[in-house]
Amino acid sequence: MLKMENVSKIYRTNLIETHALRKVDLHIGAGEFVSVTGPSGSGKTTFLNLAGLLETFEEGDFYLDGQNVKGLNDNQLSELRNEKIGFIFQSFNLLPELPLFDNVDVPLRYRGFNAKERKDRIENALEIVGLSSRMQHLPTQLSGGQQQRVAIARAIAGQPKFLLADEPTGNLDSLMAQQVMELLEKINQQGTTIIMVTHDDQLARRSHRNIQIFDGQVSDLAQDQTDVLIKSE
Amino acid sequence: MFAYNLKLAFKSLNDRPSLTILMVAAIAVGLGLFMTMLTLSHQAGKIPMPHISKQIHLVQLDNREVTADEAENFNQMVDLTYQDTQNLLKLPSSGVEQTLAWNTNGILNVEEQEIQPQRSSVVATNQAFFTMFEVPFLYGKGWDSDADQFSQAVIVLSKKSNDYLFGGINSVGKQVRLNTHVLTVIGVLDDWFLARKFYDRSYYQAWPDQAFIPSNFAFDSDLPRNARFDCWSTTTNPGKFRTNYLTELKTSECAWITFWAKLPNHNLEDYKTQLGQYIDSQKRLGRFPRENQYFLTNINDQLEVISKMIGREQMLGVISYMFFAVCLINAVSILLAKFMRRTKEVSLRRALGAKKRTILQQHLIEVVFIGIIGGLFGILFSYIGLQAMLRVSLYASDYVRTAADLMPYHQMDWEMIMMAFTVSVSCTLLVGLYPIWRICNVSPASQLKAQ
Repeated sequence: MLKMENVSKIYRTNLIETHALRKVDLHIGAGEFVSVTGPSGSGKTTFLNLAGLLETFEEGDFYLDGQNVKGLNDNQLSELRNEKIGFIFQSFNLLPELPLFDNVDVPLRYRGFNAKERKDRIENALEIVGLSSRMQHLPTQLSGGQQQRVAIARAIAGQPKFLLADEPTGNLDSLMAQQVMELLEKINQQGTTIIMVTHDDQLARRSHRNIQIFDGQVSDLAQDQTDVLIKSE
Repeated sequence: MFAYNLKLAFKSLNDRPSLTILMVAAIAVGLGLFMTMLTLSHQAGKIPMPHISKQIHLVQLDNREVTADEAENFNQMVDLTYQDTQNLLKLPSSGVEQTLAWNTNGILNVEEQEIQPQRSSVVATNQAFFTMFEVPFLYGKGWDSDADQFSQAVIVLSKKSNDYLFGGINSVGKQVRLNTHVLTVIGVLDDWFLARKFYDRSYYQAWPDQAFIPSNFAFDSDLPRNARFDCWSTTTNPGKFRTNYLTELKTSECAWITFWAKLPNHNLEDYKTQLGQYIDSQKRLGRFPRENQYFLTNINDQLEVISKMIGREQMLGVISYMFFAVCLINAVSILLAKFMRRTKEVSLRRALGAKKRTILQQHLIEVVFIGIIGGLFGILFSYIGLQAMLRVSLYASDYVRTAADLMPYHQMDWEMIMMAFTVSVSCTLLVGLYPIWRICNVSPASQLKAQ
């Protein structure tokens, strides 16, 4: 479903090269809920940006839903991103001057759905996150937890196969974080693959699988355990 | 997607309206001044009677001394002497219309009307003037060849004079006084707009003459001759010919009368031959000491020479171009600031699936909108600028010219209005390319983490 083979990401300036990710080999299956942890500056966000086709990579191959994205042009990446990936950000990234309806509408517009299709999807998505009664409210009229739920509605409205969440509870108190987490688990149970970057070990433990990133190197605990088992046999 | 981008562009214009207003103001003020100068230049560059202007030729013969400077164009050449005008009018040139014109003035008055006598500029000419220059008549018509031949006391009034002297009624057959002479009105002109008054070589704008009379009548009445006398041979103190010494003037080598011939292409070569033959014949009489030199210059070519000499418009034009450029640079700075404030939103939209070309379209629409609004206000400012320039022209003419006379030279026609929009939109697009390029190249990942 999501497969990286030997993927490296290097940031270059005139003076130095920074290896943000080194030879990442990773496979995430359909319907998995994967948490990504690691210290600050370890490369978690870079990993998420690569997975979300927001950045390109220098080496290796990356298959998203069976398609090798290496060498795709900007238009193709935009289409793929729009169709297959939903994003949830720590700071919600809602457009403050637009009501909730229009915020959720943004990715659907770029998908080219007609008005009725968009309306149905927006209403359905806001229903799922429990905000269908506040469609015409502005984001600033909502609490942080509610804003993140709107961001989740925006992410799932296009029914993507992947949901990439970058510290989705980082700006929320524990109660709201709990609610958001439950919502993500509910979405995952309906078949959406979720990759969530978090600093919170407690939340990470609720995922099916935890990937740790240290200094740009990915340590896939599940894969490591399998390797150990194979070796011991 | 276009409709959505249109909506976003509108929204963006309303977002931070002060920046939008500043941008539009920068474009509008620059465009206003630019279009003011361009319109003045456009109107000044118009050719009188463009459909026949290439056929109407100024005729000049070089009767000057051998030592006189070489003339490179018509503007450095003298006009015709009285005797040459009379001789040329008698040329056996079939189908060629010829006319002459010189300026005089006098007091126009109607005895039975209770009006103030009016000091008037009067053109002394012949009957061909009205047909050659396609002068429009409101009442009556021009005089015939008998009036020229027998110096009949007839007069053609301008519409404005007729309005003043007779209240605008059909005054044909009525009598007016020109100084002490009584003349019969034979025709009244309709509005006659000339881009430039070429026939007396003044090339003035909006300086219409009040009346037209037969040249021979003007000579016989010894009306003043408002002309520059370029005299050769033994003549001294040519200024004396303005009011006296007519007999001497008629036989002198003083050039002062403008002379015109309407020469369709097929007549041009024949006419040149005739001029050459005429000069040769005069040489045998001891005149024309220089080479066989004459000038035939059509109206278009005259205006081309004249327009190069009008430095004021050119200087103001250059200043207005530079000012517009400065305004555009200001506009692009504001546009860049406005767009760069939006990087976070654009980054988000790119992350959510917007292609670069979608972002490009959205911002192009916005820039075109700004260009159109800037164009609209620019036209308004141009109108104000032209009105101001009209006042300046009125002042410069000591209010001899009226606002109504000057108005045609100080107003935008459709061509100029379309030009204003085209210039506004294209220039705004041009300077907007860099900000648009910058915003389109915002990386989708660049702004999402920051808060």
